[in-house]
Amino acid sequence: MLRRTVLGGLAASATASTMIVRSAVAQDADWQKLVDAAKKEGKVSIYTASIGSPFHKIIFKAFEAKYGIKVELLEARASEVRERVRVEQSAGRFLGDLHHNGSTTTWLMTQDGNFQPHGPLPNLKNIEAPYEASEMSVPAEVISYCLMVNKNMVKPGEEPKVWKDILDPKWTGKILSDDYRALGGGAVFFMVMYDTFGREFHEKLAAQKPVFSRDLANSERRVARGEFPLYIPFSLQDLNNLKGLPVKPIVPAEGRPYVRFDLSMLKNAPHPNAARLFTNFYLEPEQQLVFANAGYNPVVKGVIEKTSEDIRPHLATKALGTTTPSKQDAMLALAKEIYK
Amino acid sequence: MSVAVDLPAAPVRPRGSLFERHGRGFGLTLLVLLLGFLSLYPLAMLFYGSLHSTPPGMAGVFNLDGYASLGSDENLAALVNTVAISLVKTILSLALAILMAWIIARTDTPGRGVLEVLITLPFFIPPILTATAWAMLGNAQVGTINIVWKAITGLETPLVDVYSYGGVIWHMMQYSTPFIFLLVVDAFRAMDPSLEEASRMSGASRWQTFWRVTFALMLPVTTSAFILSFIRGMESFESAVFFGTPVGINVITTQIYNSITQKGTPDYQSATALGFAAMALMFLLLVVQSRLLRGRSFTTVTGKGYSPNVTRLGRLRWVTFAICVSFFVLTVVLPVGQLLLSSFFQFFGFYQLDMLTLQHYRDVWENDEFWHAFGNTMLLGVIGATATMALGGIVAYVTTRTTWRGRRLIDILAWLPWMMPGMVLGIGFLWGFATLPHSVPIYGTLWALLLAYIALGTPVAVRVTSGAYAQIAKDIEECSRVHGAGWWQTLGRILIALAWPAFAVGWVLIFFGIMRELSASILLYVPDTEVMSVVMLKMWVGGKPEEVSVLGLIMLVLVLVFRWVQLRFIGRRISTL
Repeated sequence: MLRRTVLGGLAASATASTMIVRSAVAQDADWQKLVDAAKKEGKVSIYTASIGSPFHKIIFKAFEAKYGIKVELLEARASEVRERVRVEQSAGRFLGDLHHNGSTTTWLMTQDGNFQPHGPLPNLKNIEAPYEASEMSVPAEVISYCLMVNKNMVKPGEEPKVWKDILDPKWTGKILSDDYRALGGGAVFFMVMYDTFGREFHEKLAAQKPVFSRDLANSERRVARGEFPLYIPFSLQDLNNLKGLPVKPIVPAEGRPYVRFDLSMLKNAPHPNAARLFTNFYLEPEQQLVFANAGYNPVVKGVIEKTSEDIRPHLATKALGTTTPSKQDAMLALAKEIYK
Repeated sequence: MSVAVDLPAAPVRPRGSLFERHGRGFGLTLLVLLLGFLSLYPLAMLFYGSLHSTPPGMAGVFNLDGYASLGSDENLAALVNTVAISLVKTILSLALAILMAWIIARTDTPGRGVLEVLITLPFFIPPILTATAWAMLGNAQVGTINIVWKAITGLETPLVDVYSYGGVIWHMMQYSTPFIFLLVVDAFRAMDPSLEEASRMSGASRWQTFWRVTFALMLPVTTSAFILSFIRGMESFESAVFFGTPVGINVITTQIYNSITQKGTPDYQSATALGFAAMALMFLLLVVQSRLLRGRSFTTVTGKGYSPNVTRLGRLRWVTFAICVSFFVLTVVLPVGQLLLSSFFQFFGFYQLDMLTLQHYRDVWENDEFWHAFGNTMLLGVIGATATMALGGIVAYVTTRTTWRGRRLIDILAWLPWMMPGMVLGIGFLWGFATLPHSVPIYGTLWALLLAYIALGTPVAVRVTSGAYAQIAKDIEECSRVHGAGWWQTLGRILIALAWPAFAVGWVLIFFGIMRELSASILLYVPDTEVMSVVMLKMWVGGKPEEVSVLGLIMLVLVLVFRWVQLRFIGRRISTL
């Protein structure tokens, strides 16, 4: 009986293994067909809200070099990208293949029906929790936020260690911040702090009279020049642009707020195979390592360990939380109420 | 003194050639259709957006929620702020610009030729760069001016703080003063000095002559400049968002920006309704201007010859010299000095020897994307400015020199794009061009950008040329017609030839307006039609302000070349008048 069971088990295993191998072979063949079709399409058009990022260009060039498929890029701010896609699609103009934007805008556009399913992609298996792909979108990279101090103005012993340290009265009037009442890093920070520490945290922070700025690209330099000793929320990927300046990022003990960027295939994409191939390529560890070394948190496994030593300690920190797209407008209204 | 004022204009009635019998109607229809497409069509899309709960192409309902939102405390406060800030900055700029225009065009102040170029430079520097430079110079904590002030006086309170109403107004003035100066200086130069001489000989003082003759004759140009500048002030965004928003000063454009880009779900209905509210306000201004100038003649260029002369100021000429130099130092030397210096250092505002570098110049030089965009921008700039001036010249002729039916409509159509804030109008172009039939190859091509630029520039072209036309006596034109010249010949060989300095100024203003335009460009460009403003935005957002400084300096060099060529031309034309 036992022998029969063992034999039966072995036979079943062999059959299953054969089926898996066959299926893998079939999948490989299918994928090769997709690669060939993508090469025939010859280009992929990407609409992105990541403006002027040199790191994304490295990935695009690597893709062009590997597959000989040209990457065309349309860069604009999140809402502009969304409106262009919306108006083009409603006018029957299907010009873009892929959409690369923050998770809130991606969620809104999914509700509007601007995307189509990306289908099976071999590298989806690389994705690491808490990030996950949906039928319509794939996590691309993650922007992580922390604090930034001017090293000449803040001695190591005075540095904030936990998020609530910024509520100390010694920082009153000395905090430069992204505006919490507008989309962007400020809104992400507001929502995560609200979810983690409650309204009281924000009421106390409002009493600290943070100075808001919408000129995000310049805020870090204002702190570096000594206009303010402390800046929140600092995007880790900007660290590369500031090497040599007297600034220091600090990830508080509780962790870092983050916002995910997603890749989604646009409805009726003119180059669907190239779009799928590119999405899969984006999830390869080599490409994710480029982002990770630049200060973005990667979305696939086994990458952080390979990053450069100066950035690794910041990336290997706890993810504190992110935005909930459906709550975004309510949160912006709440921020307006608290930070008048 | 009522010299040459209060004479009703006698519009020219073109004679009955074949063109005038059949072609005129056709030409006018074509003009109305073209202007309608350029201005009315995108505005109609926006008007739909203001009345519909969702933008065009999305399911929704018609309602008045957008207009209802205008009554919110926040929007009303922004509206009051906008009008107050724009009014103050326009009055101050106008006074300063007229003073400097008079100094340059009508006095013997030393170095006028060079000063004229230098005074206009601030207008051509991208606002984002001067804002950054002023943020470094005038922040209360570590601004260079305040550090020097504290060191000299030993006081702890800062001298200036750019994050204030004053900062917003000052930053706007750096653009509006040279803008108004550019519009009025040639009118001062082209004025027949015999009118002023008559005033002086009749016993009027120098001030009375300036106020009652010079200034009075300049009314069409100065009121046009005032209105153009006031409206631009109401639509200004950079100054308010940089220096106002951090201290709670909101204006219409920052409210619109918030509605479109800073909400989870963009609120186009409120943004477009705010745009139309601003437009209604500006329209009222135009009506006031029209009433102010109605029935008056401002002719100063007649068929009689005259030789331009200058007022001899004696020792006072060094005072006028100092005024112009001070303006140049404050608005150009200080901010551009920062830009120039920063372009040679690794980081903007960090002047350490170990950070000296030419890397930013190398990066721009090796940036293929920039050169591609530069080529597109030059092409669009030259064609766009030329086409816009041609269109503006025709529109101005029809509206100021004829009694043709439909000229009022043409005037209004040409004005409309100026009255809608740029970031809203950009959406109108996007909606309008994208929803055209696919067989009309505009969307996704350079045509989309070109047409948007022409629409945006036409109001300036019309104002500049109509101001100049108003100074040219009808007798010269009639003389041309009597001697058998056709409509086009008269337009080209008399009016445009005499108004050439204004055309040159308009061309330069529009050319550099195209170089800087971002609101429509960012919504209409495609990967192959990128323009400089889009590349600059990418560099800025990508954390490369030093490279943007390099681009700003390249633009300044271009300005210097253009202005030099232009002033040589104008000098030659004036000397032949």
